[in-house]
Amino acid sequence: MRIKHLLLFGMAALSLSSCFKDEAPNAECDITKAWVHTDNPNELFYQLSDTAINVMYDRNDISFTVRRKADVSRLAPLFEITPGATINPANGTVQDFTNGPVLYTVTSEDKQWSRQYSVSFKPTVVTIPSAVIFDFENARVYEDANKKATYYKWYENTMSDTDIEYWANANAGFALSKSSATPDEYPSVAVDGYEGKGVKLTTCSTGDWGLLVRRPLAAGNFFIGEFDVSKALTNTMLTTRMGRPFAKKPIKITGMYKYKAGDVFWRFVNGKIEEHTDIKDRAAIYASFFRNHDNEGNEIVLNGNDSKTNPNIVASAEVNVIPETDEWTPFEMVFNYKGDIDLDELERQGYSLTIVFTSSTDGAYYEGAPGSTLYIDNVRLECEEEK
Amino acid sequence: MKKIFSLVLLLTIAISMWGISLPDSLNYTFRIGYNIGGTAPVGMPATIRKLNSYDFQPNVSLGLDVQKDLWGKWGLAAGVRLENKGMKIDATVKNYHMKMVQGGNELEGMYTGRLVTDCNLWMLTVPVMATFHSGRWLIKCGPYVSYVATRSFKGHVYDGYLRTGNPTGDKVDMGPEGDDNPTYDFSDDMRKCHVGMLLGADCRLGKRIGVYADITWGLNGAFKNSFKTIEQTLYPIYGTIGLTYKLK
Repeated sequence: MRIKHLLLFGMAALSLSSCFKDEAPNAECDITKAWVHTDNPNELFYQLSDTAINVMYDRNDISFTVRRKADVSRLAPLFEITPGATINPANGTVQDFTNGPVLYTVTSEDKQWSRQYSVSFKPTVVTIPSAVIFDFENARVYEDANKKATYYKWYENTMSDTDIEYWANANAGFALSKSSATPDEYPSVAVDGYEGKGVKLTTCSTGDWGLLVRRPLAAGNFFIGEFDVSKALTNTMLTTRMGRPFAKKPIKITGMYKYKAGDVFWRFVNGKIEEHTDIKDRAAIYASFFRNHDNEGNEIVLNGNDSKTNPNIVASAEVNVIPETDEWTPFEMVFNYKGDIDLDELERQGYSLTIVFTSSTDGAYYEGAPGSTLYIDNVRLECEEEK
Repeated sequence: MKKIFSLVLLLTIAISMWGISLPDSLNYTFRIGYNIGGTAPVGMPATIRKLNSYDFQPNVSLGLDVQKDLWGKWGLAAGVRLENKGMKIDATVKNYHMKMVQGGNELEGMYTGRLVTDCNLWMLTVPVMATFHSGRWLIKCGPYVSYVATRSFKGHVYDGYLRTGNPTGDKVDMGPEGDDNPTYDFSDDMRKCHVGMLLGADCRLGKRIGVYADITWGLNGAFKNSFKTIEQTLYPIYGTIGLTYKLK
């Protein structure tokens, strides 16, 4: 009998220790989507797709693009938030956005965490000068407290917005793998350029950690659009959300570059790096101009898979050969239009533009030579004069 | 590994033959068993939501014990075991704190999603036990020390996401289970020495053959103290069932 008791006691102790506790309340507090219901969206917005915004997790600002003379004094934006979380001011309450952004605070279900979002409705002027200059002077080191990493971000002032990250890059993804890197060791770095500051893009190994997560290489990239770090460990192609609305017809892009290919080309096959000394890495410089919404009003952005092939692309430009050079060298690419574009649609911000630079053309497939370096500066975008 | 295995085998054979000349009052028992259990936290934290699967591993335990009744029914036993403690689990976690350190780079955050762990340890265990004899039964209880010769603690994550830093940090998705899931390998962070308690019973069925059931409960964690990736201390807790053969 005693033996049985002992064994029973032992079994009971084991099974008790493996009991599952009740689920804890959610700790997250995100706005994942924001939208506005109005009877007449065309009065307020240029496009139907502008009425709703999918909010990326790393963003704290939600900015609606509205017509220049839109009345934003009585708007009631709606938000999709983390289940169980609460939002203040309450979801769907009428707010006045004429004097700038309204702050919303989301508090998690477990009350331990909160996030503040700045929501704004920005009247957008669509007049764009016939030449837009990007000289990349406004780079700043950003402290990513959550990843304990520091890296460069670039800011631009546009017609409707000041200090926005018009150009995006993959530094936030690289920070996942190499938090110890200094800002100058990242794939995208601000350096002395052709005039003032320029951008240096380097193909980098992501080290031991990168191998573990099966993403061994990060090409230096730089593009007009947004970088979505949430896809960095699933589908790298989707991290690059390329394109921003552009209300002029682009004709030609010129700029200055330097390029040096790395010595050993990497291919990532079956979880292992294959080294090839006989393959030469190539940089890429190209641009795509495309319709930014479909007939149902859904937003369209390009990504790594379709940035040259998406059927909504109406014009594209590419520098076909980028010879190695250690001197600043001019480049030029002319937009090749597939057909006519709809000028009314153009005025309504119905087209987007992206310009893409990368130090390894197949970097998104983890193919490239570590050390390949592309410098760029003084990018000038020429547009068609208004008639 | 092979070396230890052959050493134990040789020892077993040697003792079984040499045992003939040993005093009759000592009992020699050879045992072969199967370990089942896991390297797990004691008291499940709320962040572990579900065990989706537990795969049985070929966990063998080969052992040799020497036992003697010293004070009436009470006695002492000591032994040596060559054993394998492994597990493969697929668990669902929610808001699970983890801090991964790899070559001087660290990534800390809260993970929600599926987590596959494949743990395999080969060890040499020496238990010292007090025994109590009652008819066909022999009850054993005492401490053990294990030297872990082969350590492996690997796995991958899928169908989930990490919030970097804390629940408000950047979200990084983990895709569906496949060839490119992020993996981890904490093998080198595991301890080489385990201590714990053994509780068990032998039951003799015939003149030489019997069955046994033991529970071994690790008292120090399976990982070194410096290891912070997993918040909870994981203890190796295994049950063993098997056959005994009384050599003498």
